[in-house]
Amino acid sequence: MTTVTLAGAEVDLRRRLKVLASQEALLAIAVIGLAIAVGLYNPRFLAARNLSDVLLGNAYIAVAAVGMSMVIISGNIDISVGALIGVLATISGTLAVNGAPIVVAWLAALVVGILVMALQGVIIAYLRIPAIVVTLGMLSILKGGLISVTGGKWITDLPDSFHLADIELLGVLPFPVFLMILATILAALWMRYSASGRAIYAVGGNAEAARLCGISQPRTIVMVFALHGLFAGAAALLYATQLRVIQSTVPPNLELTIITASVVGGVSILGGVGTVVGSTLAAVLIAEIASALVFIDVSPYWIRAVQGVLILVTVIADILRRRRMAGA
Amino acid sequence: MKLGFAAAFLSATLLAGTASAADKRWDGADDLPVNPLACSAGEANAAPAAKPYDGGRPTNAADKAGKPITLVDVPKLIGIGYFNATSKGMQDAAKALGNVTVKTDGPTEAKIDEQIKFIDNYITSGVDGILFAANDPVAIAPVLKKALSKGIHVIGYDANSTPDAREWFVNQAEFNGIAKAMIDSMAKEAGEDKSFAIVTSTFTTPNQARWIAEMWAYAQKCHPKLKWLETVEAQEDNNLSFNQATTLINKHGDKLAGLFGMTSVATPASAEAVTKAKLCGKVAVVGLATPNAMKPYVNADCVKSVVLWNPVDLGYAATYVMRAVVDGSLKPGATSVDAGKLGKLNVVNGSEILLGSPFIFTKQNIKDFDF
Repeated sequence: MTTVTLAGAEVDLRRRLKVLASQEALLAIAVIGLAIAVGLYNPRFLAARNLSDVLLGNAYIAVAAVGMSMVIISGNIDISVGALIGVLATISGTLAVNGAPIVVAWLAALVVGILVMALQGVIIAYLRIPAIVVTLGMLSILKGGLISVTGGKWITDLPDSFHLADIELLGVLPFPVFLMILATILAALWMRYSASGRAIYAVGGNAEAARLCGISQPRTIVMVFALHGLFAGAAALLYATQLRVIQSTVPPNLELTIITASVVGGVSILGGVGTVVGSTLAAVLIAEIASALVFIDVSPYWIRAVQGVLILVTVIADILRRRRMAGA
Repeated sequence: MKLGFAAAFLSATLLAGTASAADKRWDGADDLPVNPLACSAGEANAAPAAKPYDGGRPTNAADKAGKPITLVDVPKLIGIGYFNATSKGMQDAAKALGNVTVKTDGPTEAKIDEQIKFIDNYITSGVDGILFAANDPVAIAPVLKKALSKGIHVIGYDANSTPDAREWFVNQAEFNGIAKAMIDSMAKEAGEDKSFAIVTSTFTTPNQARWIAEMWAYAQKCHPKLKWLETVEAQEDNNLSFNQATTLINKHGDKLAGLFGMTSVATPASAEAVTKAKLCGKVAVVGLATPNAMKPYVNADCVKSVVLWNPVDLGYAATYVMRAVVDGSLKPGATSVDAGKLGKLNVVNGSEILLGSPFIFTKQNIKDFDF
């Protein structure tokens, strides 16, 4: 009986992965199609400089969305990530201006990111408190804590060597774009081919089947959150090193943008389905739309509405797809 | 399906975009009346409608005209560069006057309840006058009124309270003054007939909307050939401001000769965008900002003018105003007050003293400020 269920789940998973490949193809077509459409209206949009700037300025969202996708695929959610990125940027910047070696300042963001997220993972997995509640609590703690500790004072006078985002590999490829591509590819391969990576889908898709397979659900969830913390730390470094000033505040609505990238990227809010290739393409699409709105003379406030419509369309499509599969 | 939606959305927004007329007020400006200043410093400004004195008065204040007085300064918070600078200005004024002792004391965080406690304690221990920068204009009023009722003089600076809770308020800058400084700097740096764009917080933020409206009016009057391209919104978000400024640079190319930053977030982010695009010297950045965030760009010659006010002068003026009130030389109905090295400062809006023209931070002076 057990083996039959598992074989069924396996087939189901394969079919879903196939459907998702088309979701990613759709996103890729949308990214290219939008570029052509806006390029026809204003050819400057297609200038290499502009396309590169769109990626450069938003790569941190894609990097954070890689971790967020893992969390959502595992059947959880995290709304503290925007606040955490603000806190990690401030920690890293504070260390850098106070003379800590730059590498230490960078590593601190990654380490603290992993620790905070792993702690949340432990509370969610072992105390069995819903992720939305735990991360909502953490959001308030981080937000309030940051403003209390820093008093909102900006960090200025950052050393030049701190600016990771300014590095250009081989003189052409900006580091943030490189990191976005690297993180996406590594995470995609790991989640597709390794046992621990596939365990994320198992836990989020069918927790009971995963348990019967010998996968520890709590351990997987803690691992997912720890990894999510690592990506949040990397995103915080890109965010902090892009400009010469760190605001010491929580970036407004950042967690929503990151979750939007994951969901529009095809990650099912019900867990068990999605890829980081999709979330990265979606992050690029959202960034592209924001830039396009300026090029076609539309208020950037529309970006919120556009994001909302994209979320609704993707979620409805996901639910309909599931219903069709359940009915088949 | 998604593509179809995107195309439909874009065509809808394209239509909406072309509908906007070119010759209306700049986007981001409010609809309130404007009062542009004279183009050159020599001309007289249109006198604003006189408003009667609306400040409060202390009850039975001791007559200390010409006698030594002890003051306490309670800023929003202590320990930050900005209020260290106002405090320094007060000490400078005290030294110049010779008969004033002033001490700065206040909360270490910008919290109104803490600030009220500090003021209350000084009312109890007894001082001749209180200088304040309010964390909240309404919440601070009762404790200031209590001070007035005990015969203590009360003068505000930087951040006002409701007018009847203090005697005078030293206003660091009026909207039309900031607007003139911004537009004059842009015309000088970008060129009289060049095009510029604006990066603001949102179209509805009151201060920014007021500044943009006054900039529009002043530019029409004094620099009519300066061409406004568009205003973009960037909230108060560093990275969004940077992305928006970058997008403007990419969109307008050679046509763009200048960027205005309307917030202390947008200005450094715009400067960073111009730096990254390697357009320093080709795209002028003029904006409101605090000096520390702008030092890298000013020192690299990428930004020439940062518009704000001088907090040292603000503290200096507040102390002179207090002395003048105690001495009886500044009474309700007066039109100006003598402020030592700053000269005569004008009374505006009934019970406010205008510090003067905004201060422009440049490569020569920016190193003297730390906030």
